[in-house]
Amino acid sequence: MNNKYKILVIEDESNIRSLISTMLEANGYQVIQCETCDSAILLFESYLPDLAILDLGLPDADGLKFLRYVRKDSLTPVVVLSARTDESDKISALDLGANDYVTKPFSSGELLARIRAALRNTRHCNDEGRLPGGKFVLGEMTIDYDARRTFLGGEEVKLTQTEYNILAFLSEHCGKLMTYSAVIKEIWGERADDSSIKKLQVNMANIRRKFGITPAEPKYIYNELGVGYRMDHSV
Amino acid sequence: MTKRSVARDILITVVILALAFVISVSFQKVFGIDEQITTLFAFAVFLISLTTRGYVYGIFSAIVSTLAINYAFTFPYFAFDFITPVNLISAVVMIIIAVLTGALTTKVKRNEEIRLESEKERMRANLLRAVSHDIRTPLTTIYGSAAALLEDGEYLSPEQKNKMLQSIRDDSVWLVRMVENLLSVTRIDSGNVKISKSPTVLDELVSSVLLKFKKRYPDRKVEVLLPDEVLIIPMDAMLIEQVLVNILENAVIHSEGMTRLILRVYVREDVAVFEVQDNGCGISKEKMQDLFLGYYEHKEAPADSQKKNTGIGLSVCATIIGAHGGKISAENVPSGGALFRFILRLEEKGNE
Repeated sequence: MNNKYKILVIEDESNIRSLISTMLEANGYQVIQCETCDSAILLFESYLPDLAILDLGLPDADGLKFLRYVRKDSLTPVVVLSARTDESDKISALDLGANDYVTKPFSSGELLARIRAALRNTRHCNDEGRLPGGKFVLGEMTIDYDARRTFLGGEEVKLTQTEYNILAFLSEHCGKLMTYSAVIKEIWGERADDSSIKKLQVNMANIRRKFGITPAEPKYIYNELGVGYRMDHSV
Repeated sequence: MTKRSVARDILITVVILALAFVISVSFQKVFGIDEQITTLFAFAVFLISLTTRGYVYGIFSAIVSTLAINYAFTFPYFAFDFITPVNLISAVVMIIIAVLTGALTTKVKRNEEIRLESEKERMRANLLRAVSHDIRTPLTTIYGSAAALLEDGEYLSPEQKNKMLQSIRDDSVWLVRMVENLLSVTRIDSGNVKISKSPTVLDELVSSVLLKFKKRYPDRKVEVLLPDEVLIIPMDAMLIEQVLVNILENAVIHSEGMTRLILRVYVREDVAVFEVQDNGCGISKEKMQDLFLGYYEHKEAPADSQKKNTGIGLSVCATIIGAHGGKISAENVPSGGALFRFILRLEEKGNE
Protein backbone atom coordinates (compact mmCIF):
# COMPACT_ATOMS: atom_id res chain seq x y z
CA MET A 1 0.00 0.00 0.00
CA ASN A 2 1.65 3.24 -1.04
CA ASN A 3 -0.67 5.70 0.64
CA LYS A 4 -1.31 5.34 4.35
CA TYR A 5 -4.75 5.34 5.90
CA LYS A 6 -5.51 8.65 7.60
CA ILE A 7 -7.02 8.33 11.04
CA LEU A 8 -8.52 11.19 13.01
CA VAL A 9 -8.07 10.73 16.77
CA ILE A 10 -10.51 12.77 18.86
CA GLU A 11 -9.65 12.45 22.53
CA ASP A 12 -9.23 15.12 25.19
CA GLU A 13 -6.94 13.26 27.60
CA SER A 14 -3.44 13.88 26.32
CA ASN A 15 -1.96 10.65 27.68
CA ILE A 16 -4.49 8.48 25.95
CA ARG A 17 -4.30 10.56 22.78
CA SER A 18 -0.54 10.24 22.53
CA LEU A 19 -0.76 6.53 23.37
CA ILE A 20 -3.21 5.91 20.54
CA SER A 21 -1.27 8.07 18.12
CA THR A 22 2.02 6.34 18.85
CA MET A 23 0.37 2.98 18.48
CA LEU A 24 -1.25 3.89 15.17
CA GLU A 25 1.89 5.45 13.71
CA ALA A 26 3.87 2.38 14.70
CA ASN A 27 1.37 0.33 12.73
CA GLY A 28 1.65 2.36 9.56
CA TYR A 29 -1.29 4.73 9.87
CA GLN A 30 -1.16 8.48 9.44
CA VAL A 31 -2.59 10.25 12.46
CA ILE A 32 -4.41 13.57 12.84
CA GLN A 33 -5.09 14.55 16.45
CA CYS A 34 -7.53 16.88 18.13
CA GLU A 35 -9.16 17.30 21.51
CA THR A 36 -12.46 19.07 20.97
CA CYS A 37 -15.59 18.33 19.07
CA ASP A 38 -15.53 21.56 17.05
CA SER A 39 -11.94 21.16 15.92
CA ALA A 40 -12.75 17.55 15.04
CA ILE A 41 -15.45 18.70 12.66
CA LEU A 42 -13.07 21.22 11.09
CA LEU A 43 -10.29 18.66 10.68
CA PHE A 44 -12.73 16.11 9.34
CA GLU A 45 -13.78 18.51 6.61
CA SER A 46 -10.25 19.53 5.63
CA TYR A 47 -8.43 16.16 5.84
CA LEU A 48 -11.25 13.72 4.97
CA PRO A 49 -9.79 10.92 7.10
CA ASP A 50 -10.40 7.25 6.32
CA LEU A 51 -11.52 6.58 9.86
CA ALA A 52 -12.16 8.46 13.10
CA ILE A 53 -11.56 7.33 16.68
CA LEU A 54 -13.97 9.23 18.89
CA ASP A 55 -14.01 9.67 22.66
CA LEU A 56 -17.55 10.37 23.81
CA GLY A 57 -16.71 12.67 26.73
CA LEU A 58 -15.24 15.77 25.11
CA PRO A 59 -14.78 19.11 26.89
CA ASP A 60 -16.83 21.29 24.51
CA ALA A 61 -19.63 18.96 23.44
CA ASP A 62 -20.85 15.41 23.50
CA GLY A 63 -18.90 13.24 21.08
CA LEU A 64 -22.23 12.21 19.60
CA LYS A 65 -22.45 15.66 18.02
CA PHE A 66 -19.44 14.83 15.87
CA LEU A 67 -20.95 11.49 14.98
CA ARG A 68 -24.20 13.11 13.90
CA TYR A 69 -22.29 15.61 11.81
CA VAL A 70 -20.27 12.92 10.05
CA ARG A 71 -23.24 10.66 9.41
CA LYS A 72 -25.20 13.40 7.70
CA ASP A 73 -23.45 12.76 4.43
CA SER A 74 -20.60 10.34 4.93
CA LEU A 75 -19.96 6.66 5.60
CA THR A 76 -16.50 7.18 7.08
CA PRO A 77 -16.10 4.53 9.77
CA VAL A 78 -16.15 5.82 13.34
CA VAL A 79 -14.87 3.77 16.27
CA VAL A 80 -16.08 5.05 19.62
CA LEU A 81 -14.05 4.96 22.84
CA SER A 82 -16.14 4.62 25.96
CA ALA A 83 -15.89 3.90 29.67
CA ARG A 84 -17.55 0.80 30.97
CA THR A 85 -20.19 2.72 32.85
CA ASP A 86 -21.96 4.38 29.96
CA GLU A 87 -23.63 1.33 28.50
CA SER A 88 -26.52 3.31 27.09
CA ASP A 89 -24.15 5.80 25.44
CA LYS A 90 -22.54 2.94 23.56
CA ILE A 91 -25.86 1.79 22.23
CA SER A 92 -26.98 5.26 21.20
CA ALA A 93 -23.62 5.84 19.50
CA LEU A 94 -24.01 2.59 17.55
CA ASP A 95 -27.56 3.45 16.62
CA LEU A 96 -26.38 6.84 15.41
CA GLY A 97 -24.06 5.07 13.00
CA ALA A 98 -20.82 4.38 14.85
CA ASN A 99 -19.18 1.27 13.45
CA ASP A 100 -17.85 -0.09 16.67
CA TYR A 101 -16.82 0.76 20.17
CA VAL A 102 -13.85 -0.08 22.35
CA THR A 103 -14.20 0.04 26.10
CA LYS A 104 -11.55 1.82 28.16
CA PRO A 105 -9.15 0.50 29.24
CA PHE A 106 -8.29 -1.27 26.00
CA SER A 107 -5.24 -3.07 24.73
CA SER A 108 -3.47 -1.95 21.58
CA GLY A 109 -4.27 -5.25 19.91
CA GLU A 110 -7.95 -4.79 20.55
CA LEU A 111 -8.12 -1.28 19.15
CA LEU A 112 -6.04 -2.16 16.08
CA ALA A 113 -8.26 -5.17 15.37
CA ARG A 114 -11.37 -3.01 15.52
CA ILE A 115 -9.79 -0.42 13.24
CA ARG A 116 -8.82 -3.08 10.71
CA ALA A 117 -12.30 -4.55 10.81
CA ALA A 118 -13.93 -1.14 10.31
CA LEU A 119 -11.65 -0.31 7.38
CA ARG A 120 -12.19 -3.73 5.87
CA ASN A 121 -15.91 -3.21 6.17
CA THR A 122 -15.88 -0.06 4.07
CA ARG A 123 -13.64 -1.64 1.47
CA HIS A 124 -16.13 -4.49 1.32
CA CYS A 125 -18.85 -2.08 0.48
CA ASN A 126 -16.78 -0.29 -2.15
CA ASP A 127 -15.39 -2.98 -4.40
CA GLU A 128 -15.63 -6.52 -3.05
CA GLY A 129 -19.04 -6.10 -1.43
CA ARG A 130 -21.40 -8.60 -2.87
CA LEU A 131 -19.27 -10.89 -4.93
CA PRO A 132 -20.19 -11.52 -8.56
CA GLY A 133 -23.26 -13.66 -8.68
CA GLY A 134 -24.53 -12.18 -5.44
CA LYS A 135 -22.52 -14.36 -3.10
CA PHE A 136 -21.04 -13.52 0.28
CA VAL A 137 -18.13 -15.64 1.50
CA LEU A 138 -16.74 -15.65 5.03
CA GLY A 139 -14.40 -18.51 5.89
CA GLU A 140 -16.33 -21.68 5.17
CA MET A 141 -19.64 -19.88 5.19
CA THR A 142 -21.26 -18.85 1.93
CA ILE A 143 -24.45 -16.90 1.46
CA ASP A 144 -26.11 -16.95 -1.94
CA TYR A 145 -28.21 -13.79 -1.94
CA ASP A 146 -30.00 -14.55 -5.19
CA ALA A 147 -31.10 -18.03 -4.22
CA ARG A 148 -31.51 -17.10 -0.54
CA ARG A 149 -29.50 -20.15 0.47
CA THR A 150 -26.61 -20.64 2.88
CA PHE A 151 -23.76 -23.11 2.84
CA LEU A 152 -21.09 -24.28 5.25
CA GLY A 153 -18.10 -25.94 3.63
CA GLY A 154 -20.14 -26.78 0.54
CA GLU A 155 -23.01 -28.35 2.50
CA GLU A 156 -26.28 -26.47 2.47
CA VAL A 157 -27.52 -25.20 5.84
CA LYS A 158 -31.30 -24.97 5.96
CA LEU A 159 -32.48 -21.77 7.60
CA THR A 160 -35.98 -20.42 8.15
CA GLN A 161 -36.96 -17.18 6.39
CA THR A 162 -36.36 -15.11 9.52
CA GLU A 163 -33.04 -16.80 10.24
CA TYR A 164 -31.89 -16.19 6.69
CA ASN A 165 -32.94 -12.55 6.85
CA ILE A 166 -30.99 -12.00 10.05
CA LEU A 167 -27.88 -13.69 8.67
CA ALA A 168 -28.09 -11.78 5.39
CA PHE A 169 -28.53 -8.49 7.22
CA LEU A 170 -25.48 -9.12 9.40
CA SER A 171 -23.43 -10.19 6.39
CA GLU A 172 -24.31 -6.97 4.56
CA HIS A 173 -22.81 -5.12 7.53
CA CYS A 174 -19.94 -7.54 8.04
CA GLY A 175 -17.43 -6.20 10.55
CA LYS A 176 -19.86 -3.75 12.05
CA LEU A 177 -21.50 -4.23 15.40
CA MET A 178 -25.26 -4.14 14.88
CA THR A 179 -27.43 -3.31 17.88
CA TYR A 180 -30.50 -5.36 18.76
CA SER A 181 -32.77 -2.49 17.81
CA ALA A 182 -31.11 -2.09 14.39
CA VAL A 183 -31.60 -5.79 13.59
CA ILE A 184 -35.14 -5.90 14.94
CA LYS A 185 -36.14 -2.81 12.99
CA GLU A 186 -34.76 -4.34 9.80
CA ILE A 187 -36.24 -7.82 10.23
CA TRP A 188 -39.58 -7.22 11.90
CA GLY A 189 -40.01 -3.49 11.51
CA GLU A 190 -40.68 -3.22 15.22
CA ARG A 191 -39.25 -1.24 18.07
CA ALA A 192 -36.94 -3.28 20.25
CA ASP A 193 -38.42 -4.42 23.55
CA ASP A 194 -37.81 -7.37 25.84
CA SER A 195 -39.95 -9.77 23.85
CA SER A 196 -38.57 -8.84 20.43
CA ILE A 197 -35.00 -9.03 21.72
CA LYS A 198 -35.81 -12.47 23.06
CA LYS A 199 -37.21 -13.47 19.68
CA LEU A 200 -34.02 -12.28 18.01
CA GLN A 201 -31.80 -14.08 20.51
CA VAL A 202 -33.63 -17.36 20.06
CA ASN A 203 -33.38 -17.09 16.27
CA MET A 204 -29.70 -16.31 16.61
CA ALA A 205 -29.17 -19.28 18.90
CA ASN A 206 -30.79 -21.50 16.27
CA ILE A 207 -28.65 -20.03 13.49
CA ARG A 208 -25.54 -20.76 15.52
CA ARG A 209 -26.64 -24.29 16.21
CA LYS A 210 -27.32 -24.94 12.54
CA PHE A 211 -23.84 -23.69 11.68
CA GLY A 212 -22.33 -25.74 14.48
CA ILE A 213 -21.00 -22.66 16.27
CA THR A 214 -20.52 -23.34 19.97
CA PRO A 215 -20.15 -20.77 22.77
CA ALA A 216 -16.74 -22.24 23.56
CA GLU A 217 -15.47 -21.52 20.05
CA PRO A 218 -17.41 -18.68 18.52
CA LYS A 219 -16.81 -17.89 14.86
CA TYR A 220 -18.47 -15.82 12.11
CA ILE A 221 -21.05 -14.31 14.48
CA TYR A 222 -20.04 -12.71 17.74
CA ASN A 223 -22.30 -11.24 20.39
CA GLU A 224 -21.77 -8.26 22.65
CA LEU A 225 -23.87 -8.91 25.73
CA GLY A 226 -26.76 -6.52 25.99
CA VAL A 227 -25.74 -4.62 22.84
CA GLY A 228 -25.94 -6.65 19.65
CA TYR A 229 -24.18 -8.84 17.09
CA ARG A 230 -21.26 -8.60 14.76
CA MET A 231 -20.35 -10.82 11.86
CA ASP A 232 -16.61 -10.95 11.39
CA HIS A 233 -13.54 -13.01 10.63
CA SER A 234 -12.19 -12.72 14.13
CA VAL A 235 -12.90 -10.86 17.32
CA MET B 1 -42.48 6.34 55.73
CA THR B 2 -44.04 5.12 52.53
CA LYS B 3 -47.69 5.16 51.61
CA ARG B 4 -47.76 1.42 51.91
CA SER B 5 -46.64 1.30 55.53
CA VAL B 6 -49.17 3.98 56.44
CA ALA B 7 -51.93 1.91 54.85
CA ARG B 8 -50.68 -1.14 56.71
CA ASP B 9 -50.71 0.71 60.05
CA ILE B 10 -54.21 2.02 59.49
CA LEU B 11 -55.37 -1.46 58.59
CA ILE B 12 -53.85 -2.93 61.74
CA THR B 13 -55.47 -0.27 63.90
CA VAL B 14 -58.91 -0.75 62.37
CA VAL B 15 -58.77 -4.55 62.48
CA ILE B 16 -57.65 -4.76 66.11
CA LEU B 17 -60.17 -2.17 67.28
CA ALA B 18 -62.97 -3.91 65.39
CA LEU B 19 -61.96 -7.25 66.89
CA ALA B 20 -61.93 -5.76 70.40
CA PHE B 21 -65.34 -4.28 69.80
CA VAL B 22 -66.83 -7.52 68.47
CA ILE B 23 -65.43 -9.55 71.34
CA SER B 24 -66.68 -6.99 73.87
CA VAL B 25 -70.17 -7.02 72.41
CA SER B 26 -70.30 -10.81 72.48
CA PHE B 27 -69.02 -10.81 76.09
CA GLN B 28 -71.73 -8.44 77.07
CA LYS B 29 -74.53 -10.17 75.19
CA VAL B 30 -73.59 -13.77 75.95
CA PHE B 31 -72.09 -13.61 79.42
CA GLY B 32 -73.44 -10.29 80.60
CA ILE B 33 -70.01 -9.19 81.87
CA ASP B 34 -68.89 -5.58 81.68
CA GLU B 35 -65.87 -5.61 83.97
CA GLN B 36 -63.26 -7.15 81.67
CA ILE B 37 -64.12 -4.98 78.70
CA THR B 38 -61.83 -2.14 79.77
CA THR B 39 -58.95 -4.62 80.11
CA LEU B 40 -59.70 -6.00 76.67
CA PHE B 41 -59.56 -2.55 75.09
CA ALA B 42 -56.42 -1.73 77.04
CA PHE B 43 -54.85 -4.83 75.54
CA ALA B 44 -56.00 -3.80 72.07
CA VAL B 45 -54.41 -0.36 72.52
CA PHE B 46 -51.22 -2.03 73.70
CA LEU B 47 -51.14 -4.30 70.63
CA ILE B 48 -51.70 -1.40 68.26
CA SER B 49 -48.96 0.72 69.81
CA LEU B 50 -46.65 -2.26 69.60
CA THR B 51 -47.19 -3.07 65.92
CA THR B 52 -47.54 0.39 64.35
CA ARG B 53 -44.99 3.12 63.75
CA GLY B 54 -44.88 6.11 66.02
CA TYR B 55 -47.47 7.32 68.55
CA VAL B 56 -50.34 8.42 66.35
CA TYR B 57 -52.17 5.13 65.95
CA GLY B 58 -51.79 4.14 69.61
CA ILE B 59 -53.14 7.43 70.91
CA PHE B 60 -55.92 7.47 68.32
CA SER B 61 -57.02 3.96 69.28
CA ALA B 62 -56.79 4.87 72.98
CA ILE B 63 -59.22 7.74 72.40
CA VAL B 64 -61.53 5.59 70.28
CA SER B 65 -61.45 2.83 72.89
CA THR B 66 -62.25 5.24 75.71
CA LEU B 67 -65.17 6.63 73.79
CA ALA B 68 -66.41 3.17 72.87
CA ILE B 69 -66.23 1.92 76.44
CA ASN B 70 -67.78 5.06 77.75
CA TYR B 71 -70.58 5.03 75.22
CA ALA B 72 -71.45 1.39 74.79
CA PHE B 73 -70.16 -0.68 77.64
CA THR B 74 -70.46 1.32 80.85
CA PHE B 75 -73.34 2.77 82.71
CA PRO B 76 -75.14 4.85 81.48
CA TYR B 77 -75.31 2.68 78.34
CA PHE B 78 -75.33 4.42 74.95
CA ALA B 79 -74.58 7.83 76.34
CA PHE B 80 -71.36 9.68 77.05
CA ASP B 81 -70.56 10.30 80.66
CA PHE B 82 -67.32 11.90 81.68
CA ILE B 83 -68.32 12.69 85.20
CA THR B 84 -68.09 9.22 86.66
CA PRO B 85 -64.50 8.99 87.97
CA VAL B 86 -64.12 5.33 86.90
CA ASN B 87 -64.63 6.29 83.28
CA LEU B 88 -62.15 9.14 83.54
CA ILE B 89 -59.53 6.93 85.11
CA SER B 90 -59.88 4.27 82.41
CA ALA B 91 -59.47 6.96 79.77
CA VAL B 92 -56.28 8.28 81.33
CA VAL B 93 -54.85 4.78 81.82
CA MET B 94 -55.57 3.90 78.22
CA ILE B 95 -53.72 6.95 76.89
CA ILE B 96 -50.77 6.35 79.20
CA ILE B 97 -50.52 2.76 77.91
CA ALA B 98 -50.56 4.02 74.33
CA VAL B 99 -47.85 6.62 74.91
CA LEU B 100 -45.54 4.37 76.92
CA THR B 101 -45.78 1.43 74.53
CA GLY B 102 -45.33 3.74 71.58
CA ALA B 103 -42.21 5.27 73.11
CA LEU B 104 -40.75 1.89 73.95
CA THR B 105 -41.29 0.28 70.56
CA THR B 106 -40.08 3.34 68.71
CA LYS B 107 -36.88 3.21 70.72
CA VAL B 108 -36.38 -0.49 70.06
CA LYS B 109 -37.02 -0.05 66.34
CA ARG B 110 -34.59 2.85 66.14
CA ASN B 111 -31.90 0.87 67.95
CA GLU B 112 -32.33 -1.97 65.49
CA GLU B 113 -31.94 0.45 62.57
CA ILE B 114 -28.81 1.94 64.07
CA ARG B 115 -27.36 -1.52 64.61
CA LEU B 116 -28.01 -2.51 60.98
CA GLU B 117 -26.54 0.73 59.72
CA SER B 118 -23.38 0.35 61.77
CA GLU B 119 -23.05 -3.26 60.66
CA LYS B 120 -23.18 -2.08 57.04
CA GLU B 121 -20.69 0.65 57.84
CA ARG B 122 -18.35 -1.90 59.37
CA MET B 123 -18.58 -4.13 56.29
CA ARG B 124 -17.85 -1.17 54.09
CA ALA B 125 -14.85 -0.15 56.16
CA ASN B 126 -13.53 -3.71 56.01
CA LEU B 127 -13.97 -3.81 52.28
CA LEU B 128 -12.21 -0.49 51.88
CA ARG B 129 -9.31 -1.61 54.04
CA ALA B 130 -8.98 -4.85 52.12
CA VAL B 131 -9.16 -3.07 48.79
CA SER B 132 -6.57 -0.46 49.69
CA HIS B 133 -4.28 -3.23 50.82
CA ASP B 134 -4.84 -5.21 47.64
CA ILE B 135 -4.34 -2.23 45.38
CA ARG B 136 -1.01 -1.26 46.85
CA THR B 137 0.77 -4.36 45.60
CA PRO B 138 0.11 -4.03 41.87
CA LEU B 139 0.62 -0.27 42.09
CA THR B 140 4.05 -0.86 43.57
CA THR B 141 4.94 -3.09 40.66
CA ILE B 142 3.64 -0.67 38.05
CA TYR B 143 5.22 2.39 39.62
CA GLY B 144 8.52 0.66 40.35
CA SER B 145 8.85 -0.98 36.94
CA ALA B 146 7.93 2.14 35.03
CA ALA B 147 10.36 4.24 37.05
CA ALA B 148 13.11 1.69 36.54
CA LEU B 149 12.49 1.55 32.80
CA LEU B 150 12.61 5.34 32.54
CA GLU B 151 15.62 5.91 34.74
CA ASP B 152 17.79 2.85 34.24
CA GLY B 153 16.51 1.72 30.86
CA GLU B 154 19.93 1.78 29.27
CA TYR B 155 21.41 -0.68 31.77
CA LEU B 156 18.66 -3.24 31.39
CA SER B 157 18.76 -6.17 29.01
CA PRO B 158 15.89 -6.53 26.52
CA GLU B 159 14.65 -9.59 28.44
CA GLN B 160 14.61 -7.66 31.69
CA LYS B 161 12.75 -4.81 30.05
CA ASN B 162 10.30 -7.20 28.55
CA LYS B 163 9.66 -8.85 31.88
CA MET B 164 9.05 -5.52 33.56
CA LEU B 165 6.67 -4.42 30.84
CA GLN B 166 4.81 -7.67 31.15
CA SER B 167 4.37 -7.24 34.87
CA ILE B 168 3.16 -3.69 34.32
CA ARG B 169 0.56 -5.01 31.91
CA ASP B 170 -0.48 -7.92 34.12
CA ASP B 171 -0.88 -5.82 37.20
CA SER B 172 -2.84 -3.12 35.44
CA VAL B 173 -5.16 -5.79 34.06
CA TRP B 174 -5.63 -6.95 37.62
CA LEU B 175 -6.43 -3.40 38.72
CA VAL B 176 -8.96 -3.04 35.93
CA ARG B 177 -10.75 -6.12 37.16
CA MET B 178 -10.69 -4.85 40.72
CA VAL B 179 -12.25 -1.57 39.64
CA GLU B 180 -14.94 -3.42 37.71
CA ASN B 181 -15.76 -5.44 40.78
CA LEU B 182 -15.89 -2.37 42.98
CA LEU B 183 -18.17 -0.62 40.53
CA SER B 184 -20.59 -3.52 40.66
CA VAL B 185 -20.52 -3.64 44.43
CA THR B 186 -21.22 0.05 44.82
CA ARG B 187 -24.00 -0.26 42.29
CA ILE B 188 -25.64 -2.97 44.35
CA ASP B 189 -24.65 -1.93 47.86
CA SER B 190 -25.90 1.63 47.67
CA GLY B 191 -29.13 0.92 49.48
CA ASN B 192 -31.70 -0.04 46.92
CA VAL B 193 -30.67 -2.95 44.76
CA LYS B 194 -30.38 -1.76 41.20
CA ILE B 195 -30.09 -4.68 38.88
CA SER B 196 -31.96 -4.68 35.64
CA LYS B 197 -32.86 -8.20 34.67
CA SER B 198 -33.43 -8.95 31.04
CA PRO B 199 -33.89 -12.30 29.32
CA THR B 200 -30.49 -13.58 28.25
CA VAL B 201 -29.64 -16.55 26.09
CA LEU B 202 -27.23 -18.81 27.91
CA ASP B 203 -25.11 -19.42 24.79
CA GLU B 204 -24.40 -15.72 24.43
CA LEU B 205 -23.52 -15.30 28.07
CA VAL B 206 -21.12 -18.22 28.02
CA SER B 207 -19.57 -17.14 24.74
CA SER B 208 -18.97 -13.67 26.12
CA VAL B 209 -17.54 -15.03 29.38
CA LEU B 210 -15.14 -17.35 27.57
CA LEU B 211 -14.01 -14.58 25.26
CA LYS B 212 -13.13 -12.39 28.23
CA PHE B 213 -11.48 -15.25 30.05
CA LYS B 214 -9.46 -16.26 26.99
CA LYS B 215 -8.18 -12.72 26.64
CA ARG B 216 -6.64 -12.91 30.10
CA TYR B 217 -5.60 -16.55 30.07
CA PRO B 218 -5.08 -17.52 26.44
CA ASP B 219 -3.56 -20.91 27.26
CA ARG B 220 -6.16 -22.07 29.74
CA LYS B 221 -8.73 -24.34 28.18
CA VAL B 222 -12.22 -24.44 29.64
CA GLU B 223 -14.42 -27.47 29.05
CA VAL B 224 -18.00 -26.35 28.49
CA LEU B 225 -21.07 -28.47 29.09
CA LEU B 226 -24.37 -26.79 28.23
CA PRO B 227 -27.91 -28.08 27.80
CA ASP B 228 -28.98 -28.82 24.23
CA GLU B 229 -32.03 -26.61 24.16
CA VAL B 230 -31.92 -22.84 23.94
CA LEU B 231 -32.03 -21.60 27.50
CA ILE B 232 -33.21 -18.11 28.35
CA ILE B 233 -32.54 -16.85 31.86
CA PRO B 234 -33.61 -13.49 33.23
CA MET B 235 -30.52 -11.76 34.61
CA ASP B 236 -28.34 -8.70 34.58
CA ALA B 237 -26.02 -10.18 31.98
CA MET B 238 -23.08 -7.86 32.66
CA LEU B 239 -23.08 -8.77 36.32
CA ILE B 240 -23.53 -12.52 35.87
CA GLU B 241 -20.77 -12.43 33.29
CA GLN B 242 -18.59 -10.86 35.93
CA VAL B 243 -19.50 -13.58 38.42
CA LEU B 244 -18.50 -16.33 36.01
CA VAL B 245 -15.25 -14.60 35.05
CA ASN B 246 -14.43 -14.08 38.72
CA ILE B 247 -15.03 -17.73 39.59
CA LEU B 248 -13.04 -19.02 36.61
CA GLU B 249 -10.17 -16.70 37.42
CA ASN B 250 -10.32 -17.64 41.03
CA ALA B 251 -9.76 -21.24 39.99
CA VAL B 252 -6.76 -20.29 37.86
CA ILE B 253 -5.18 -18.22 40.63
CA HIS B 254 -5.90 -20.38 43.64
CA SER B 255 -6.22 -23.93 42.42
CA GLU B 256 -2.72 -25.33 42.45
CA GLY B 257 -2.04 -28.29 40.23
CA MET B 258 -5.20 -27.77 38.21
CA THR B 259 -5.27 -29.45 34.82
CA ARG B 260 -8.98 -29.35 34.02
CA LEU B 261 -11.44 -26.51 34.34
CA ILE B 262 -15.08 -27.26 33.63
CA LEU B 263 -17.99 -24.88 33.22
CA ARG B 264 -21.26 -26.73 33.42
CA VAL B 265 -24.81 -25.44 33.24
CA TYR B 266 -27.92 -27.56 33.64
CA VAL B 267 -31.58 -27.17 34.49
CA ARG B 268 -33.05 -28.55 37.68
CA GLU B 269 -36.78 -28.07 38.06
CA ASP B 270 -37.29 -24.31 37.75
CA VAL B 271 -33.71 -23.14 38.23
CA ALA B 272 -30.58 -23.01 36.13
CA VAL B 273 -27.55 -24.43 37.93
CA PHE B 274 -24.13 -23.02 37.02
CA GLU B 275 -21.09 -25.01 38.14
CA VAL B 276 -17.38 -24.31 37.81
CA GLN B 277 -15.26 -27.29 38.74
CA ASP B 278 -11.51 -27.77 38.78
CA ASN B 279 -9.26 -30.62 39.77
CA GLY B 280 -6.73 -28.56 41.71
CA CYS B 281 -5.88 -28.39 45.39
CA GLY B 282 -9.39 -27.62 46.63
CA ILE B 283 -10.37 -25.10 49.30
CA SER B 284 -8.89 -25.30 52.80
CA LYS B 285 -11.23 -25.45 55.78
CA GLU B 286 -10.26 -22.04 57.17
CA LYS B 287 -10.82 -20.38 53.82
CA MET B 288 -14.10 -22.16 53.25
CA GLN B 289 -15.63 -20.45 56.29
CA ASP B 290 -15.60 -16.89 55.07
CA LEU B 291 -15.06 -17.45 51.39
CA PHE B 292 -17.90 -15.17 50.33
CA LEU B 293 -17.75 -12.66 53.16
CA GLY B 294 -15.75 -9.98 51.46
CA TYR B 295 -13.31 -9.29 54.23
CA TYR B 296 -10.49 -11.38 55.48
CA GLU B 297 -7.98 -11.42 58.25
CA HIS B 298 -4.99 -9.29 57.53
CA LYS B 299 -2.59 -11.82 58.90
CA GLU B 300 -3.75 -14.13 56.17
CA ALA B 301 -3.25 -11.65 53.38
CA PRO B 302 -0.12 -12.67 51.54
CA ALA B 303 2.47 -9.99 51.04
CA ASP B 304 3.81 -11.20 47.74
CA SER B 305 2.12 -10.20 44.56
CA GLN B 306 2.00 -13.76 43.28
CA LYS B 307 -0.99 -14.72 45.36
CA LYS B 308 -3.43 -11.91 45.28
CA ASN B 309 -6.38 -12.41 47.45
CA THR B 310 -9.62 -12.66 45.58
CA GLY B 311 -11.73 -12.28 48.70
CA ILE B 312 -13.31 -9.30 47.03
CA GLY B 313 -13.97 -11.14 43.81
CA LEU B 314 -15.94 -13.87 45.52
CA SER B 315 -17.82 -11.51 47.79
CA VAL B 316 -18.82 -9.55 44.72
CA CYS B 317 -20.12 -12.82 43.27
CA ALA B 318 -22.15 -13.48 46.40
CA THR B 319 -23.57 -9.95 46.39
CA ILE B 320 -24.55 -10.18 42.72
CA ILE B 321 -26.14 -13.61 43.03
CA GLY B 322 -27.91 -12.50 46.20
CA ALA B 323 -29.32 -9.48 44.41
CA HIS B 324 -30.66 -11.84 41.74
CA GLY B 325 -32.44 -13.86 44.41
CA GLY B 326 -30.15 -16.81 43.78
CA LYS B 327 -27.72 -18.81 45.88
CA ILE B 328 -23.99 -19.39 45.66
CA SER B 329 -21.96 -22.08 47.35
CA ALA B 330 -18.58 -23.78 47.22
CA GLU B 331 -17.48 -27.29 48.08
CA ASN B 332 -14.62 -29.71 47.60
CA VAL B 333 -15.15 -32.58 45.22
CA PRO B 334 -14.29 -36.05 46.60
CA SER B 335 -12.12 -36.75 43.57
CA GLY B 336 -10.10 -33.58 44.32
CA GLY B 337 -10.58 -29.94 43.42
CA ALA B 338 -13.11 -27.27 44.14
CA LEU B 339 -16.63 -26.78 42.85
CA PHE B 340 -18.42 -23.44 42.81
CA ARG B 341 -22.11 -23.51 42.19
CA PHE B 342 -24.78 -20.86 41.86
CA ILE B 343 -28.40 -21.04 40.84
CA LEU B 344 -30.62 -18.58 39.03
CA ARG B 345 -34.34 -18.76 38.70
CA LEU B 346 -35.62 -19.68 35.25
CA GLU B 347 -38.59 -17.81 34.02
CA GLU B 348 -39.32 -20.14 31.17
CA LYS B 349 -37.65 -22.41 28.72
CA GLY B 350 -37.43 -20.69 25.38
CA ASN B 351 -37.90 -22.59 22.18
CA GLU B 352 -39.83 -20.98 19.46
